Amino acid sequence: MKKYQLGEFEEYVLLTVGVLHGDAYGVTIREEIQKRLERKVSIGALQSALRRMEDKGFLKSELGETTKARGGKRKRYFKITALGKQALDFNMETRMKLWKEIPDVALQFSTC
Amino acid sequence: MPSNSLHKVPKLPSKIIQWFCKDELLEEIEGDLFEHYQVLREDHTKWKSDIFYWFHAFHFLRPFALKKFGQNSNIIIMYRSYFKFALRAMWRQKASTAFNLLGLILAFTVCGLIYLHVQQELSYDKFHDRAEDIYRVAWMNENPQTRTPHPMAQAMVSDFPEIESAVSLSPIYAPGLTKQSIKLTLEKENISFNEPDGYFVDSTFFDVFDFKFLEGNPETALNSSWGVVLSKSTAERYFGDAPAIGNRLSFDVNTDMLEVVGVVEDAPVASHFHFNFLISYVSLKSLNFNDPWMSWTDFGHFNYVKLKAGASEEVVEAKIPKWATMYLGWPEEAYEDLLNGIDRFDLQPITDIHLTSNIRWELEANSSYTYLFIYGVSGLFILLISIINFVNLSTARSAQRLKEVGVKKAIGARKTELLSQFIFESTLTTYVALGLSLLVIRNLESEFNNLVQGQIDVGLIFSTQSILFLIIVASITALIAAIYPSFYLNAQKPGDILKGLSGKKIGGAKVRNTLLGVQLVAAIVMISGSLIINEQIKFLKNKDLGFKQEQLAFIELDNYEDKSELMKTNMLQISGVESIAALSNIPGGQFNQHPIYPEQNPDNRVDASELFLDDDAMSVLELEIVAGRMLNEKMAADSAGTAFLINETAAKELNLEDPVGKNLFWVDNENLVKGQIIGVVKDFHFKSLHVPIRPLIMMSRHRGFNYVVASLNAENYSMIIPQLENEYQKIFPQNDFVLKFLDDEIEDLYEEESRTLLLTSLLSGISIFLSIAGLIGIVMIAIKQRVKEIGIRKVLGASIGQILVLINGRFLIITGIATVVGIPITWMLMRNWLGNFTYQNGISPLTFILTAIGLLALIFITISAIAIKTAKSNPSLALRSE
Repeated sequence: MKKYQLGEFEEYVLLTVGVLHGDAYGVTIREEIQKRLERKVSIGALQSALRRMEDKGFLKSELGETTKARGGKRKRYFKITALGKQALDFNMETRMKLWKEIPDVALQFSTC
Repeated sequence: MPSNSLHKVPKLPSKIIQWFCKDELLEEIEGDLFEHYQVLREDHTKWKSDIFYWFHAFHFLRPFALKKFGQNSNIIIMYRSYFKFALRAMWRQKASTAFNLLGLILAFTVCGLIYLHVQQELSYDKFHDRAEDIYRVAWMNENPQTRTPHPMAQAMVSDFPEIESAVSLSPIYAPGLTKQSIKLTLEKENISFNEPDGYFVDSTFFDVFDFKFLEGNPETALNSSWGVVLSKSTAERYFGDAPAIGNRLSFDVNTDMLEVVGVVEDAPVASHFHFNFLISYVSLKSLNFNDPWMSWTDFGHFNYVKLKAGASEEVVEAKIPKWATMYLGWPEEAYEDLLNGIDRFDLQPITDIHLTSNIRWELEANSSYTYLFIYGVSGLFILLISIINFVNLSTARSAQRLKEVGVKKAIGARKTELLSQFIFESTLTTYVALGLSLLVIRNLESEFNNLVQGQIDVGLIFSTQSILFLIIVASITALIAAIYPSFYLNAQKPGDILKGLSGKKIGGAKVRNTLLGVQLVAAIVMISGSLIINEQIKFLKNKDLGFKQEQLAFIELDNYEDKSELMKTNMLQISGVESIAALSNIPGGQFNQHPIYPEQNPDNRVDASELFLDDDAMSVLELEIVAGRMLNEKMAADSAGTAFLINETAAKELNLEDPVGKNLFWVDNENLVKGQIIGVVKDFHFKSLHVPIRPLIMMSRHRGFNYVVASLNAENYSMIIPQLENEYQKIFPQNDFVLKFLDDEIEDLYEEESRTLLLTSLLSGISIFLSIAGLIGIVMIAIKQRVKEIGIRKVLGASIGQILVLINGRFLIITGIATVVGIPITWMLMRNWLGNFTYQNGISPLTFILTAIGLLALIFITISAIAIKTAKSNPSLALRSE
């Protein structure tokens, strides 16, 4: 299903936006991902993923209030759209399906 | 996070982001970066945070964030309009556009070709993988030479840990030490060529040098005796595309003596020696005769060593003198000069040989940095002249566009914008010129190579390096040409320009005249320089060499058997052959050399070149005797070769007051020949005029006769030569008839000089053409400005002559000043070049006077030709319009 295509990094970002519900913008998303996945994320890479998913319709965004901490610049908050939810569901289901169909034998690692 | 004291973010990355980021994303991105930066500063130092900030900022260089520079970008629109303006301006003034382009194309073409030539000269022998580690061993005594003893190479490998491998080699010499062509024959196809450039080499040849093997095995090819390695082009001559390996070739008369054991890529043009075929020394050694040539006594081979990577040649050089005494086998006292450093074995870096080494027995004629310098300076001068033309014309043209500039400034164009417009326009012109000159260069390859007898691969102009060079040259040209006019125009007030007050007066005359002066200096240096080169070459050609050169034909003998007497008798029968003699060497060529010393003073050893000749040779060559008598083979000592003639220099260096009758020893390798001096010959230039006259010893030795020399009647060469060939074939039916005229051979000695003369004449011609064309442009502007003045002067009674003098005056003064500046520059440059010659013509003041008068006359005529129209015109026409 081309419609729901999600890259690995995109999926993490999308999920994180969900986790941070209501407080998901550039800096928080990045911190959350770095904390949970223990990997470095550049702001540029994150922003480009966010834009891509906004273009695909998985995310929507709105500008928030200005704060002094941001040098008077406004935040852009992201939310998961219905389509985004479907994409996540689809991804999880296909994975689960695949997971279930792995024969037990394939996962038995005997030590002989 | 202390919200009251926020940290300031670095400015530059923010600017960059603002410049390239989409406006709608900017606020948020900047916000994110800002907030992130605050966090960073909590844990990190400022500089670390700054680096992180930069890092993140640059990670926004992604397609999603970039602005679209499309139709609506200001920059695009602006440059599009610049382009249009530039094209219109170029189109409006077709003549000056064409002239600009022509001048620049000429300059870029010249620069490109000179660049290629210089690159090629500098690239000599760099094609070897580790060229920087390869050295040639040269013997540097008072008359330095390239050749050293054959066993030296391998002895050095075994005794010096710094040396990785070494090779000894030698061209196949005829006994007179002229390079010999060997007839190789493929018997079954009956294909036969006289092959020059055959070499004897050690089996280690390919350990030292990198020539790509096409057939055969480099490890073993040269191990076998009578195996021959052919160059690719040689192999093709005999075998075409078929494999050559395993075939047999005849070496002269020795049928099927050689077996082809390998074919290698031809040596590139930029190699200091080229070979057609290589034969291993093993072959000579297998003949099992005790050839002194292969021993330590004979300095007769070219030895090359390859140092281990990182080893220093100076260390090796320092060890050689002591080491060499173990092998050389000289008497103890002969080592003195070697041990105290007067005579040395030098390691010449192989990559320097072509440009710096000019000692005896170079494998091929080398060049020198002086020539590169002359060509480089000429190229620069021509570039300078055409940049100045370009600048002058651009200023003149920009003055005609004052209105355009005025309007632009009035509606708010900034200085930098005007500057960028001018830079854009001049860049456009220079790049068009550059493109066209690349085309010209590509199409001129064979013409250029024919002209200078070079082998430049013009394809290299499209290499990154050359293109980069030309682009830099073009960009500098464009920048210089744009900067002056735009500063000049920027300095004007827009109001003034639009009012048209200053529009009438085209400014910058002072700068323009100065530039003209610089141009003329360059032209003067080039003209007088090439005149001096011309004088020197004429001097060399006309210098009395001390022997007859005209109408003398040298015919190669086969010296396996001495048939010179028979040849002489037979050829003398031919009508038109006035006299004939036999001798060993062609004057001007290479001479073998051995020590001589007088019996009365054995310590006074002098290295003397040797020439074998029969009793007729002195009269045929018209050599003069100053004391004693000529050779006479009827006398036993003379025909036995123990009667010596020496030249005046030898007599002087041997310190012999009255040499005739004195006994002299001649150290011919192992043989010590004792003889008597029977005469002293007046010094003559038996070598080229690049070197001083050296001691010479002459005697009769039939084995050594390599040539007969015949004095021919000039009127019917075409009749005589076929008859000579006919007689030759009767005696040597197997050999090819080779006839050389002495005056041609001597002319060839000055080939490099003739080539330089041709090139510098050509380049100075171009420089005159360009400067005069530039001058015409300036004079036309000057006259335009002074039309009214001329009109008024005429009304008041000035004659045409007076007006011409008026217009000419200033330019002739500039020329005068340029001459005064140019002469010392030329003098210094050319003195350097003349330093290459032992016999110098000197620099005559007449050259400079001629240059100055010629240039002044040329400029006067040019200016007058342009001005005469204005000077003759009716003054009322000039004064009527306002």
